[in-house]
Amino acid sequence: MTRVERHTYDVVVVGAGGAGLRAAIEAREQGLRTAVICKSLFGKAHTVMAEGGIAASMGNANPHDNWQVHFRDTMRGGKFLNHWRMAELHAKEAPDRVWELETWGALFDRTKDGRISQRNFGGHEYARLAHVGDRTGLELIRTLQQKIVSLQQEDHARCGDYEDRLRVFQECTVTRVLKDEETFRAEGGRGGRVAGVFGYVRESGRFFVIEAPAVVLATGGIGKSFKVTSNSWEYTGDGHALALLAGAPLINMEFVQFHPTGMVWPPSVKGILVTESVRGDGGVLRNSDGKRFMFDYIPDVFKEKYAQSEEEADGWYADPENHRRPPELLPRDEVARAINSEVKAGRGSPHGGVFLDVSTRLPAEEIKRRLPSMHHQFKELADVDITAEPMEVGPTCHYVMGGVDVDPDSAAATGVPGLFAAGEVAGGMHGSNRLGGNSLSDLLVFGRRAGLHAAEYAAELDDDRPRVSAEQVDTAAAEALRPFSVEGGEPGAPGVPAENPYALHQELQQTMNDLVGIIRRAGEMSEALHRLGSLRERSRSAGVEGHRQFNPGWHLAIDLRNMLLVSECVARAALERTESRGGHTRDDYPEMDRRWRKTNLVCELADRSGELAAVDPSAGQIRLSRRDMPPIRGDLLALFEKDELLKYLTDEELGT
Amino acid sequence: MSTPTLDKHSAALDAAENTAFEQITITLRVRRFNPEVSDEVTWVDYQLEMDPKERVLDALHKVKWEIDGSLTFRRSCAHGICGSDAMRINGRNRLACKTLLKDINPEKPITVEPIKGMTVLKDLVVDMDPFFQAFRDVMPFLITKGNEPTRERLQSAEDRARFDDTTKCILCAACTSSCPVFWNDGQYFGPAAIVNAHRFIFDSRDEGAEQRLEVLNDKEGVWRCRTTFNCTDACPRGIEVTKAIQEVKRALITRRF
Repeated sequence: MTRVERHTYDVVVVGAGGAGLRAAIEAREQGLRTAVICKSLFGKAHTVMAEGGIAASMGNANPHDNWQVHFRDTMRGGKFLNHWRMAELHAKEAPDRVWELETWGALFDRTKDGRISQRNFGGHEYARLAHVGDRTGLELIRTLQQKIVSLQQEDHARCGDYEDRLRVFQECTVTRVLKDEETFRAEGGRGGRVAGVFGYVRESGRFFVIEAPAVVLATGGIGKSFKVTSNSWEYTGDGHALALLAGAPLINMEFVQFHPTGMVWPPSVKGILVTESVRGDGGVLRNSDGKRFMFDYIPDVFKEKYAQSEEEADGWYADPENHRRPPELLPRDEVARAINSEVKAGRGSPHGGVFLDVSTRLPAEEIKRRLPSMHHQFKELADVDITAEPMEVGPTCHYVMGGVDVDPDSAAATGVPGLFAAGEVAGGMHGSNRLGGNSLSDLLVFGRRAGLHAAEYAAELDDDRPRVSAEQVDTAAAEALRPFSVEGGEPGAPGVPAENPYALHQELQQTMNDLVGIIRRAGEMSEALHRLGSLRERSRSAGVEGHRQFNPGWHLAIDLRNMLLVSECVARAALERTESRGGHTRDDYPEMDRRWRKTNLVCELADRSGELAAVDPSAGQIRLSRRDMPPIRGDLLALFEKDELLKYLTDEELGT
Repeated sequence: MSTPTLDKHSAALDAAENTAFEQITITLRVRRFNPEVSDEVTWVDYQLEMDPKERVLDALHKVKWEIDGSLTFRRSCAHGICGSDAMRINGRNRLACKTLLKDINPEKPITVEPIKGMTVLKDLVVDMDPFFQAFRDVMPFLITKGNEPTRERLQSAEDRARFDDTTKCILCAACTSSCPVFWNDGQYFGPAAIVNAHRFIFDSRDEGAEQRLEVLNDKEGVWRCRTTFNCTDACPRGIEVTKAIQEVKRALITRRF
């Protein structure tokens, strides 16, 4: 049996971004022994990059705001494909999570009377985003990190051990969720309860097993499968893949959000985000003719809510009661497609984007006060002074709406007892397109719920704890060590050099960017699936040199398994859905089709034992099926005008 | 809504991509250390074709992806928010992701080494545990008495502005590892921990200032600071670190904050 470091906890949280830390705090507050595992140093998670704010209908900026309005905006943004129960819980609980964060010490910008200030954002009817300048995500992570430090000091005062009930394992990667020996066997190698996780310490390369009956996945997204992305290096779809391998299905994987405004220049920083707050605070989009083109791209479903002229749009910032919103603040999918169209029509900026201008809209001092990070970012990385000249921006892969299929209330993954998922790795909440600001609120609301229900689940087990088998540990270790023994070519065939994992990764990113990107076509996606199949075969020969200590090439070789699995889910689901909706745009099926609204595409591992080796390379690793969503509850439907519902729901669903 | 119909390889995009690059040859001189192979440190030169508008981080990636996959360094967000890639570049602490090649004279060799005063684990990766221990020692969390409010606590714009600067810290350790006092005495809390104490001492909502000031009144506390301003120069977030330390010193004398 493989020699591994062993630990035992009640709850293990994989990922230390906003969702993971909030889940861990909750599980610890329930009195359970909790471990958090993160790939980076503690406090460096991708959440720190969130700039805009936390959407919550506290009503500080506009007293008309309430959870029903937030719910409606969220459903519209997601084109009604959202799991309505998640959207409901999210809208109802977000204000409490923001206030809670404030009582834990978070800094917020304030209104004149000292309450938390709220700012405008795309798709939100009222100014709703609680924020700290343009560094809200950083403050959110820091506050949760500080809360964890304070809980650890409480534990130390109580029993002399800082890590008695909450321990952070930093710079560690999980490669497998382990299953209970008994139930795993009884169900023919499928299903079975969660028994813990297997992973390695990045610094030493040593393996570890944490035995725990409840595992919360909070690993974030998949953006590193795309070439142009705003996502950080951690975003290799680990949690998505861990769930699949453990037997849990993913849903909505065809919906990938391309944020409309990423930097396009210089090339090395292409994809880095330009916050939506620039537009919320008055920034406008222009093409090379100087035209404010967004007025030409207001879709029918939103015609009544958005201004038709520049004059009307400009009046909105000061007097939102009597003016409609500027079209620059349409949901992200609409703006990203519009920019894409302008560039392709030859009306783009010199470096292949469009112009985002705030310099002619606000005084320089005001820009520096409201958007300090953006001012620095452009000054330092692009040598552009945004108070004096426009920025060049274009779409960048930003967020995946799809993820683990979960129970809305408990965040429990379907079909795998003991597995939970929260934040970007969970699917359903945002439907086909997420609104800006709804991510930070999502991860607080569902992070807390996942931590709570994981703790309850673990506590109820009492002595009936699942057990990790030696066999599973051996298999996981062998899988992780494989890149060291690869000879190249066919596994075991001598003489052929091993594949370079960095080269494979770059080919994968290019494939996804070109063939399953912002605008999709059937032929290109079939081609993508073909290329993914060949990359998958080649990745089995991905080899690395050296030892296990801090070996970045080895880490990437392991991450490739995850990115390939997740990319196949995206491509397969995108090929199947023959309509355009939110973060899924088909050139060959440009219209939204009401008949597709209630259909979720479900991705599962084709080889149900969780083994990847047995699968025929040409067939792929993912099995796709369709599933109907539960009908929207009547009182929630009643929040909308019937005329609006007719744009989304079929006559049959509306009973007409 | 209009639907894009042009082919994805539009002339405009191709033209934009083709004009994007201007290549020069640079020498990246990296301090390599791998305790598994040798106890000795070696400096290795890499000749790279780069665009001067690219960053030191891009040069490191190029080495790792194309020349030597074992080159080890930390990075995460890659644009100066997470604070993972502080390193000593041409003798000065900076974030590799925010340092453009053209701004550090690419005509001469560019030296890259780990931040000083911390134990090097491999190549550019240092042991950050003592750094985070100092952070934890100043009790970096809101301390309040009485009942929690049901909604938010009120805070005036003025009160909030009082500590805005020190909330910008990204815990990258550029300041602490640029401090000569810290180089000579690893027990010194260092500027970053004091900045994070400042963030709470001057927060109008906090009631734990006395406890924190006592921690910093220690012989390894603020009084070790010799006001050399290295930390202020090194901070990639532009925090006035030395000023913050001076404010904490003044608070210790006057007990007003």
